[in-house]
Amino acid sequence: MNATAAHAGSRDLNSRGRTVLDRKVVEKIASQVASEESFAGGSSGGFLGIGAHSDFSARPEVTVELAGNIAALSMEIGLLYPVPLRQVTEQLRRRISERVTALTGVEVRQIDITVSWLKPADETTGRRRLL
Amino acid sequence: MRQHAGALNRTWLVILGILALAGGVLILLAASGTLHAMSPATVAAENPVVTGDLHTVFEPASVTAIVLVAGILLGALGLLWILAQIPRRNPADRYRLHQDPASGTTLCEASVLGSAVENQINTLPGVVGSSALLRGSAREPDLTMKVTVNNRADIQDILHSINARVIPDLSTALETPLRRTGIQLEVSGRNPVSGSTVATTGTVIY
Repeated sequence: MNATAAHAGSRDLNSRGRTVLDRKVVEKIASQVASEESFAGGSSGGFLGIGAHSDFSARPEVTVELAGNIAALSMEIGLLYPVPLRQVTEQLRRRISERVTALTGVEVRQIDITVSWLKPADETTGRRRLL
Repeated sequence: MRQHAGALNRTWLVILGILALAGGVLILLAASGTLHAMSPATVAAENPVVTGDLHTVFEPASVTAIVLVAGILLGALGLLWILAQIPRRNPADRYRLHQDPASGTTLCEASVLGSAVENQINTLPGVVGSSALLRGSAREPDLTMKVTVNNRADIQDILHSINARVIPDLSTALETPLRRTGIQLEVSGRNPVSGSTVATTGTVIY
């Protein structure tokens, strides 16, 4: 009776199919997690990377290298100025690692962060902005 | 803002000075005859210094080669010394801000931090423009600033703001006190152009 039930269960698992995550999914999740932090941002606007400007509401650029179930991330982010850079990047690293692992099951082993710009939160360009 | 080869110049000038001094003392001693009195083996002042035939000394090919190599070496050293006189900015490349590289690296270009400092200085009243340069390492950074102000600027106020806000903010970002700070002030007739709008704090009535 039990053997029959177990056999039926395994057949059910096999019949469910597989779920495959693309590398881009991990990239976007990591990018979204980073952008949810108030002190981190990315770049927006421009064409083919030309004319892009720093934006706290934009998602940072993240690239992922996958090796089996282990991921190594590298990201370019902008940060609020002045914040203690070592502390906030460590905090960001922990947060991204936890969230990506929780949401995808992929183990994040390494996150390389390059700080591409630093800006105060209340900085205005002195020009009118389109809303 | 630029660095000169001051230490290198001092070192080489001390070496050359000692050599020239030693040579001068030797010539004086030889000319006055004291050298001959001190050591009879040396030639007297009235005698020629070189008595032998110089052609026989320089005839072997090995001596010519040695003299040639020594000449080239001295020429190269002189050329390097001249090149070292060109003023250099010597900016820091990129700061490594990670604690454990195994979990990932954190890199920040020194120019990014410099731009943040410049942006902050440019918001001070009376500042026309600025440039900031970071040297040294992330643990021991040096900051050099060139601040251009207009003729209506309160320089003491600007210096106070830099010391009270700009420098502590950079220290906060790097999590270490700055080792050295240099401020160069320039006065310009230009007016600051920081924008044409201002954020309003007025009340909106619906």
